[in-house]
Amino acid sequence: MSPVRLLSIFRKTLREQSRDLWLLALSLVAAPFFVVLYWLLFVGGSTAYGVLVLNADRGAALADGTVFSAGAELVAGLEKVTYASGSPLLRVRRASDLESAKATLANRDAALLLVLPEDFSEGILVARTRATPPGSPAPDPPAAPTVTFIGDLTSAAYAVSSVLTLATLDEYLRAATGQTRPVELAEEPLGASGVRTEFETYVPGLLILSVTLLIFLAAMTVAREVETGAVRRLRVTPMTSFDLLAGISLNQVLVGVTAVLLTFGTAYLFGFRSQGPLWVAVLVGAVTTLSVVGLGLVVAAFSRGVTDAFVIGNFPLIFLMFFSGAIYPLPRTALFTLGGHAVAIYDFIPATHAVVALNKVLTLGAGLGQVAYELIALVVLSAVYFAAGVWLFQRRHLRRR
Amino acid sequence: MTPNPPNGAETVLRAENLTKRYGDLLAVDRLSLEARGGEILGFLGPNGAGKTTAIGMMCGLLRPDAGETFVRGRPVRGGDPEALARVGLAPQSVILWPKLTCLEQLEFVGEMYGMPRPDARRRGRELLETVGLAEKTNKLARTLSGGMQRRLNLVLALVHDPEIVILDEPEAGLDPQGRVLVRDYIRSLARERGKTVILTTHNMDEADRLADRVAIIDRGRLLTLDTPEELKHRVGEGDVLEIEVSDAPGEAPGPGGGAGHPVLRTLEELARARSGVGAAGATGAARAAAVSRVGHIITLRARDAVNLVAAALDALRSAGFRPGAVHLRETTLEDVFIAFTGRSLRE
Repeated sequence: MSPVRLLSIFRKTLREQSRDLWLLALSLVAAPFFVVLYWLLFVGGSTAYGVLVLNADRGAALADGTVFSAGAELVAGLEKVTYASGSPLLRVRRASDLESAKATLANRDAALLLVLPEDFSEGILVARTRATPPGSPAPDPPAAPTVTFIGDLTSAAYAVSSVLTLATLDEYLRAATGQTRPVELAEEPLGASGVRTEFETYVPGLLILSVTLLIFLAAMTVAREVETGAVRRLRVTPMTSFDLLAGISLNQVLVGVTAVLLTFGTAYLFGFRSQGPLWVAVLVGAVTTLSVVGLGLVVAAFSRGVTDAFVIGNFPLIFLMFFSGAIYPLPRTALFTLGGHAVAIYDFIPATHAVVALNKVLTLGAGLGQVAYELIALVVLSAVYFAAGVWLFQRRHLRRR
Repeated sequence: MTPNPPNGAETVLRAENLTKRYGDLLAVDRLSLEARGGEILGFLGPNGAGKTTAIGMMCGLLRPDAGETFVRGRPVRGGDPEALARVGLAPQSVILWPKLTCLEQLEFVGEMYGMPRPDARRRGRELLETVGLAEKTNKLARTLSGGMQRRLNLVLALVHDPEIVILDEPEAGLDPQGRVLVRDYIRSLARERGKTVILTTHNMDEADRLADRVAIIDRGRLLTLDTPEELKHRVGEGDVLEIEVSDAPGEAPGPGGGAGHPVLRTLEELARARSGVGAAGATGAARAAAVSRVGHIITLRARDAVNLVAAALDALRSAGFRPGAVHLRETTLEDVFIAFTGRSLRE
């Protein structure tokens, strides 16, 4: 290894990159662009889940001559379900008939259809008047009216909106009938998760995205040296594969860290706030960059040109994006335990640790000490992937055959 | 004509029994040769003869299956940095970094050879000046014309001031002015700067003008290695007489017809009588080519061939041929090359 050669390769790659502004700009602004896009999508900071209500409740006359409309009261209650910031959680709309409401659901214009029966109010009144003091014999149970939830059970939006609606309905029924719970329920948010807007919860994923996309840039930059034959020219010099790949990687890491900073900067501009120290999150991003670049080198080792690098790069990209928990959680089957940490197959994917670490820092307010395990795992994986990339590249492209 | 290398010049590169096989193909077969300090060694061979593979092993680009190349006694095989730094390779295909300027490329390659950056930069400027690219110093390589890129490709092999310069087809793709410039530069490298230049080429004229010694390889084997003059002498002293003829009466028309006509033997006896000897010292293949016929051209090689013209024409007329145009020229390296490697196409 020669630091002079390494720096020379770094400088050369930097020059080439600065003359390929489109590629550089796309690598740097991809994640910030998506941050802005997400902010625009979640106006007010969070999603409001669409709930359609088909309110057939005809109400019930009270002894004083007034009409009790439980359906209308419930709808009003649903409209008051908000985030901590005051933004609505449910976007409640009235449906006129069942068929058109189902069509709306099928078009995904709403997540849930709540059908309140004609005798909804009457059922509540019956339950209220039959409430018996403790110790008295229980009367025969009345025929209770049925409230129906309709929705696509595979939809995550349905799951969220139905839980929220059910909780509101349950609360309303309890209050309206004067019943008390045998036990009280309490919810305690972990860290600052209770006050995070949905926009804020997406920022770590976008950050991972910005870093993950570097796999293409790293692989293509190295593969270009193969495609143009430059590696052949360099093979007759005393340069080593470590010099070449470390020089190029240094450059890619610089791009990656810049992308991370730009992403955080943009997110901050649009209201994102980290609960933990931001520098720790940046550090996590930087170390993740190292490991993704290492994976890029492995891709480059199997590529004979830029096109190969792009096609082959998709394979690890899918692992990074879909098997790391960045998009959705996956079942974990522990392979072994290391220092009290259960290690699963996904733990060999750098993004897995990055997702956990960023969530801890940004949402739960963790500091450096609480993400030490993830950082160490990222450093080890970076070293392993980089070493594998150097070894494979040496064997496939720099070895004198 | 180029002078011979200084007698007793030190051997700077020694290839010993270099052998390289690609599957069933024996690309280079026990090739041994030495290159001396300050000489230009031409490396000739038909397409697929193994030239590029051979020089690849000499400069450390390829690992031989057997044998070894030594540069100043140091083996190249293991990637010895000192041995590698003594050799510069200009590959046949242009290999540049399109998004670096001319100077940046030279500076970068210089640094890869361990040169301090200011030295590499200074040397780069000198080289660009030398090959007429000074005005393009800060232009990106991708903006250069094909010929300019070839010249840049050439000087990239020289930035670290190697003792041995290996040039694979250096004149390919150059216009006449570019060829002259590069040829003069290659000559100056050896004559003025004492570099050893090994160049492969298909251009016999280029090899004849430049090379102190010429190695001819075919099918991976070294056929001969000597000075161009000596090679020409060995193939046949004197001049070459080419006579255009019609088909002889009764022979099959076309390119292959009459190849073994008795008149050829008559002409060969005439040539030997004129030369006084039977092309002593030449190989069988070379001797057989003293008189040959390809299509409508009969080629006759003999000392003092100008005085043979009348007798040769008489012999042809007697045999029923109608002689046409007559050309008289000196023996060239191309004659040597054909004599050693034959006329059949290889690829």
